[in-house]
Order: sequence, then structure tokens, then C-alpha cells
Amino acid sequence: MEEYHSGDEVPFNPDEASNHVKECIEGIIGGVDYNQNKVNQWTATIVEHSLTQLVKQGKPFKYIVNCAVMQKSGAGLHTANSCYWDTATDGSCTVRWENRTMYCVVSVFAVAVAV
Amino acid sequence: MDEFQSSEETAFVVDDITTIIKDAVETTIGNSSYQHNRINQWTSSVVESSLNQLTKLGKPFKYIVTCIILQKNGAGLHTASSCFWDNTMDGNCTVKWENKTMYCIVSVFGLAI
Repeated sequence: MEEYHSGDEVPFNPDEASNHVKECIEGIIGGVDYNQNKVNQWTATIVEHSLTQLVKQGKPFKYIVNCAVMQKSGAGLHTANSCYWDTATDGSCTVRWENRTMYCVVSVFAVAVAV
Repeated sequence: MDEFQSSEETAFVVDDITTIIKDAVETTIGNSSYQHNRINQWTSSVVESSLNQLTKLGKPFKYIVTCIILQKNGAGLHTASSCFWDNTMDGNCTVKWENKTMYCIVSVFGLAI
């Protein structure tokens, strides 16, 4: 993938963001079972930590991090998203994670800011 | 009202957007029961028609629309989102809709250009 940019605009790197998010999820709900009392603070912590990691990269982006945690009980869940932006510079990535008792889906949207 | 027209045209108006989203959801799944084989096209249809209506507003925003449809089965679902943006110009709104067999949650994020 040849991406040679002479300007300041660097497109969003979904793989890097994906890795950061996976680490955050593992760190927070890695070895635990679904717990209704704690799920509130789990989702909040996941989005906050992911956002902090992304911002630390120091790239010229605005970020939106969305996290859904669902108990495994046979219900159907479907999510979709659609974006109206600049496809050259903006991007998103979605991380799907699961363990024995729950699913976790985290989406990161990055929108370039004019530097 | 006229003197504030220019800032209104560039502001993220939650009420207008909520109305647009509710219409999109009602039109797509208003009278339906949860059906596993149609869920794909429902979620796509909700986000696409919402986005179409939003861009028709002609405001200087980039939009992100997400839609979650969950079957009513007793399962617990929790979602959260966190945003790093310009608090003065950007905004979001979330619409929660339900009928007898499913929940639908649509979130719209608008980022000023």
C-alpha cells in the first residue's frame, strides 16, 4: 500500500486504532462474566480509555468512540452505520470481541480536522 | 429571529434531527415484528434514509449515523460513546424507539466542517 503524502493530511489508520481498542477491552472485561451492576461502568471505561489512547497519538482528528456490550442470551442484535464525510482523510474501524457470557462491539470514527 | 439566522444555519439542532430520525425508523420498521432475515436491510435502510435527510438540510457538517436493532428477548444491552471534538460546534443526538418485539437505537453525530 503506497501512501506517500507530501502534505500534512494523513489518512486514518484503522489497524492501529483497532489494536488500541482491543487492548482496552481486554484490560477492562477480559476475564469477567456479564454483570448487570457493572456493565454501566465497563462501557464508560472502555470508551474513555480508548479515546485517551487515540488522542495520545497526537493526530489531527476528532474522534467518536461507541461501545455496545450485550449479554449472550440468544437475542438477535444488528448494528449498522453510515457516514457522510471526506473519504480521503476520514475513516472508521469496528472491533468485535466476545467471551463466554457477553459480546462487546466498539466502533471508532475519526474525522480529520483542518490543521 | 432573523438576526440569528446565520448561526442557526451552522448549528447542530437536536430537535430537527430527532424528528428526521424518528420518521426514518417509523417508515422502515414501524409496523414490523423482529425478523432475522430482514434485519440486515432494515438497519441499512434506517441509516441510509436518515443520512439522506440529514444531508438535505444543507448544513456544513460531516455526519455519522449508527443504528442498533435488538430483539426483545430479555438480554441486557448497554452502549456508551465518548467524543473528542469541538464542544461549541459539534453535537449528537440519540433516538430510542421500540415496539412489541424489538428495540431500535439510532445515534447521530454531527461534526462541523
